[in-house]
Amino acid sequence: MPPVFDHEKCSHCGKCENLCMADAIRLTEDGTPFVKYPKECWHCGACRMDCPNEAILIQFSPWMLTI
Amino acid sequence: MEYKDIYTETDVLVIGGGLAGTVAAIGAAEKGVTVVVMDKGKIERSGDVGGGVDHFLAYLETGAEWDTKEAFLKYAAKAARGAVDLKVVEKMYCEELKNSIELMARVGNPLTQPDGSYSRMHSGGHPGPWWINFDGSRLKPRLAQKVRKLGCRVLDRVMATGLLTDNNGVVGAVGFNIRTGEFHAVKAKATIICTGNTNRLFESPRINPFDTWRCPFDTGDGQIMAYESGAALTNMEYVRVSIMPKGFSAAGFNALTGMGGRLMNSLGEYFMEKRHPQGSKAPRYDTINYILQELKAGRGPIYIDCRHLDEDVLEQLVTTLGYDKNTFPDYIEQRGENLKLKPIEIMLSEGTQNGPCDVAGGGILVDENCASTVKGLFACGDSSSANSNVHGAVTGGYRAGKSAALFTSQCSEIHINQDQVHDMRERTYSALNRKDGISYTDYENMIRKINSDSASMERTENGLETALGKLKRAKGYYDWVKVQDLHELMRANESYSLLRVSELMVMAAMYRKESRFGPYHNRIDYPEQNDKDWFGLVCVEKNGEDPKLSFRPISNEAVLGRSES
Repeated sequence: MPPVFDHEKCSHCGKCENLCMADAIRLTEDGTPFVKYPKECWHCGACRMDCPNEAILIQFSPWMLTI
Repeated sequence: MEYKDIYTETDVLVIGGGLAGTVAAIGAAEKGVTVVVMDKGKIERSGDVGGGVDHFLAYLETGAEWDTKEAFLKYAAKAARGAVDLKVVEKMYCEELKNSIELMARVGNPLTQPDGSYSRMHSGGHPGPWWINFDGSRLKPRLAQKVRKLGCRVLDRVMATGLLTDNNGVVGAVGFNIRTGEFHAVKAKATIICTGNTNRLFESPRINPFDTWRCPFDTGDGQIMAYESGAALTNMEYVRVSIMPKGFSAAGFNALTGMGGRLMNSLGEYFMEKRHPQGSKAPRYDTINYILQELKAGRGPIYIDCRHLDEDVLEQLVTTLGYDKNTFPDYIEQRGENLKLKPIEIMLSEGTQNGPCDVAGGGILVDENCASTVKGLFACGDSSSANSNVHGAVTGGYRAGKSAALFTSQCSEIHINQDQVHDMRERTYSALNRKDGISYTDYENMIRKINSDSASMERTENGLETALGKLKRAKGYYDWVKVQDLHELMRANESYSLLRVSELMVMAAMYRKESRFGPYHNRIDYPEQNDKDWFGLVCVEKNGEDPKLSFRPISNEAVLGRSES
């Protein structure tokens, strides 16, 4: 769940997919990123830090914000 | 499906391109040898500090009594309680510290603040403010850039699955690309393992087993490969625990107590101040022990109270924690926490196999030159027995790189055994080729359940024996694991490492018939620390199906006597 992509801002550069240490982010055929393995995200924030377009938001899952 | 074979030859092979691995690659390449780095991620952001880091343990020789090598070694001797050879700390850490701090500046990530000063913090039972706080949010991309600039060949997204050996020792490794499936065999005169510590071993105190304190993709792969090649492992019995925010296992929370935050139980009592002369700044394992006692007595939840701290101190704290865990400020904000207004609820982390303290690691036994007990195999960082954490990864990594480079100049010709390559290839892909079976997640949950039930923070001979029996049975079911794709194949290979680390952890815990480091190895049938018989290292080595366990006594006198004179 954590990385949420702003598709208006995303330039399909693929940097987030390339750098994700969880190998959790993948690209569709047209280069749109999506989180394929949401449960494996370690919330390291590298995708957001390295995104050249500030197109990534971090949204914690409800259970992490609740328990 | 048949995947392409790719053969590579190099002087030095570095397995794991995290903090220790990238520094090791730099250390070796600067000596003029050829270097290949193999990492299951991209080295720009892989490993435990891939998302950043904010602290580095160092004495700086500023003239203060606590700021010297002598003070550090004295502390290390006391803190390590026999879990590390002080000679190794002296050579690997003290001797490399200045070089390492210079290296950090050289790669463009100095440990200083923009004005050139050091920001130093006091915590964890140290005699002075040894933690340097710095902005390491881009440390990994900078190190990776240096590695590539030095001409190292980087095999990104290649997971190592076995070490190649000849009659003399280790001669390289094999692995597979987690995206393309290509099989890699690397022939190397020297191999350095820097694959981090072992996580995902215990049930998560939160919900998700990947929500771990330390990097969940570090699963003991290197330790098990080394063990299989004949190298001794040590300190495997210790399970380390830390304090975390309640819903998110974000590292670095000891900074809160370091800045003056007070641990509080649900009766509003500041229990650490009654129990320990250093209060909430006590050594971590003492803190964990007292938190456990509070929880058992029904006085949980536990909080850290920071309300008495100045607003600007708290602001700086959250910013610094954001260097260590980039998303931590988001968590605080989204959860509606306000450190100035109310105490923040905390909980213990899951256990991690990482050595018992910040000057002693758990994993591949290394000497003062980072050499393992097998020729051609070196180790550093959290997968080794030497001092762990950020300072251990950088100083140990640098030394390992230089030592391995030196070794290659004296190395005779090496050969790869094709039958061994073939066998390892078969095993690497086995979970992918099965027609049906169980998922790696179900398999891994089983391991975590077994470990949590009877090999965690309260241990007995019978309980450990029960756990061992179950783990041996679980081992038989690994052949049932079936994966859908290469990503899952990587995870399944990790699951197998977890199983093997669990077995060795339990056997070492059975062997050490005493308690040491509070909850980190707590034998309730042998509750006392027995220095007469157990001041030293429990080592495990491959010996057929079951390992051979042995004890190496440690004596600090030679180093301490010298440094005091």
